[in-house]
Amino acid sequence: MTQSPTLSRRSTAPAPAQLRRSKRNGADARAGYTFLLPWLLGFIALTVGPMISSLYLSFTNYNLFEPPKWIGLDNYTTLFQDERFLQSVGVTLGYVVFGTPLKLAAALAVAMLLNSKRRGQGFYRSAFYAPSLIGASVSIAIVWKAMFGDSGPVDQGLSFFGINLGGWVGNPAMTMPMFILLTVWQFGAPMVIFLAGLKQIPNELYEAASMDGAGPVRKFFNITWPMLSPVIFFNLLMETIHAFQIFASAYIISNGEGGPAGSTLFYTLYLYLRGFSDFRMGYASAMAWLLVIVVGIITLIFFRTSKSWVHYSGDSR
Amino acid sequence: MINRRHFLTTVAVGTASAAALAACGNGSSSSGQTGTAEKPVTINYTWWGNDDRAERTRKAIALFESKNPDIKVNGNFTDFAGYWQKRATEAAGGGLPDVMQWDLSYLRDYGQRNQLLDLSTVKINTEAFEKSLLPSGQIKGKTYGIPTSTNAFAVYYDPAKLASLGIAEPDGSWSYKEFNDFLSQVGSKSNGALYGGTDYTGVWWMFNIWLRQNNIQAFTPEGKLGFSKDDLKKWWNLTASLRGTGAIIPEDRVTQLAPKSPFGSNATATEVTWDNFMAGYLGDSGAKELKLVPVPSDNQDNLGLFLKPSMLMVASAKTKFKDAAARFIDFMVNDPEVGQIFKTSRGVPASKTQRDGTTFDGTDKAVVDYEKSIEKYLKDAPEPPIVGFGTLEASFKRIASDLNYGKLTVDGATDAWFKEAEDLIKQNA
Repeated sequence: MTQSPTLSRRSTAPAPAQLRRSKRNGADARAGYTFLLPWLLGFIALTVGPMISSLYLSFTNYNLFEPPKWIGLDNYTTLFQDERFLQSVGVTLGYVVFGTPLKLAAALAVAMLLNSKRRGQGFYRSAFYAPSLIGASVSIAIVWKAMFGDSGPVDQGLSFFGINLGGWVGNPAMTMPMFILLTVWQFGAPMVIFLAGLKQIPNELYEAASMDGAGPVRKFFNITWPMLSPVIFFNLLMETIHAFQIFASAYIISNGEGGPAGSTLFYTLYLYLRGFSDFRMGYASAMAWLLVIVVGIITLIFFRTSKSWVHYSGDSR
Repeated sequence: MINRRHFLTTVAVGTASAAALAACGNGSSSSGQTGTAEKPVTINYTWWGNDDRAERTRKAIALFESKNPDIKVNGNFTDFAGYWQKRATEAAGGGLPDVMQWDLSYLRDYGQRNQLLDLSTVKINTEAFEKSLLPSGQIKGKTYGIPTSTNAFAVYYDPAKLASLGIAEPDGSWSYKEFNDFLSQVGSKSNGALYGGTDYTGVWWMFNIWLRQNNIQAFTPEGKLGFSKDDLKKWWNLTASLRGTGAIIPEDRVTQLAPKSPFGSNATATEVTWDNFMAGYLGDSGAKELKLVPVPSDNQDNLGLFLKPSMLMVASAKTKFKDAAARFIDFMVNDPEVGQIFKTSRGVPASKTQRDGTTFDGTDKAVVDYEKSIEKYLKDAPEPPIVGFGTLEASFKRIASDLNYGKLTVDGATDAWFKEAEDLIKQNA
């Protein structure tokens, strides 16, 4: 939902009118737009249209059956008196703040391990990437639920070491760690990007550092981190946006209810329940737009602060 | 590689299929209202339920089609929770199936908003129905639903489990205190291996029955709440001393076992719920026999019990095949052979024609016998609950669950539920 505006900005073709040979250029433009047309039509009909109508609906009381009634900002103001809404914000922020950095740390650590030349690296890379391919699927959520349930493998494994937590699925204090483990386990996508970034770092830098007697820790903080910072920034941004949108696994593991005791009531899940179970589409639309705005602000903050820690090659700083 | 010819073929095929799809859209609107054996009309029918119900429904559909060669029925089903989300989106798009299995909780939401066909305008035979039952499918003089069958509230227990604990079987004439003591006894005698039951105060319909036992209406005719915060506090306090003991299964266990019920999973000795769950419980638990007794009441002359339509048959207001839809509904509620297919898995057949044409034996007989045994206590079926009732029922369950998790006190839970209920009533006013 919220990803499409970002996508669109990137994929819009540059205006061809600025090119010199205008005659040839006109034909090129026509061809370009013709080829773009199927996508453009779909984008307008399936993304822009619904987004505009959802913006309108967010100012109305709309129950899907009767025509929407304009109520101004009411949906937005009642949101902040809705305890379940506030709970869903808390749950989602907890997930984003703890889940994303842990996932990126895991991705970077594994990427660094896989970056060295060793036999069978191709196999390891595929093996570590696999979970993120199947991770968003319904079946994994079901498997996860079984694994962390009462007398599931996790419960039994921990009991073997004398830790008796019981099933995690029914315990409100343990559901969040379970979801964070699920997302950390799916580190494949950022890992691949980290791996590509690591390959870009010239080996001479490490060689020179070794000559100067730098240890692995020093090398990491003085070479790897700054050289990789644009890639880290990209991954951080994408994973944060992605984390705000967690839905499928939450829906399945909690039977679509956000339980136990509201501990898995993620933002999008509550939005969905409001829209499709309670028939309050206006309210759900307001929630959707609030999410767009908040994610937009967070992205902006990331970009602003990035100047102080992201180094692009060729930068004088 | 994509070459020019290849590309053009793809485009041509794409355009052609798009045109064909568009033609389909037009085609259905131009086809007539009735069909013939050579050119039957097709109606869509959807229901919720498990595989067992799907199997029985398919049999019923096949029977209907063989008796009505001019109509084809296209069946489709999902589970209960997903069912309503699907209907909501279909209704918004104007594409509800022609005939649908329906629940009382959602009758007003769709009926009052003109999504359902007034069935008094088509030919459906309701002569074999109890006159007291039909109003539950009616709103403001219009008939939106015909009950297929009835169910009543009951306490289930597994006699074998009680015998192994040395506990005498209950006879069902018990006060709330006696019922609570019974639950505690199971917990203490089994040393925690078996819980007494699930917290019955988390079940909306049981609360509704308790209100009726105290001569309080759940909802006023104007669609407001008919009970006070104090009533709800009293209700949730009924099991306050039982929560966290062996009498009531802990909430985290309930969550783990979901979507199976604790009773079906053999984790509890009793369950307070609708009597048509018999087949499901037997299948889930593997028990040989399950018995039914009436719910507790502090006034044995007023058990607060009633027969509710366990499900209704409705038609979409926009159906193009009113006649075919009416004939299918009539068949599903009245035909004795349909009764023979479903037995009590939909509840006890509401139509006398269907009921008398069905032979009940074994556990099906237990359900029918239970409904007979409580006949003298039965009061009128409730009217269709208020708009948005499905949401209220779900939040009742959720807040009671928070109460059992210890996240809320009884006072806090009561405030939370009233806030949501009042907000919802204001929203739909």
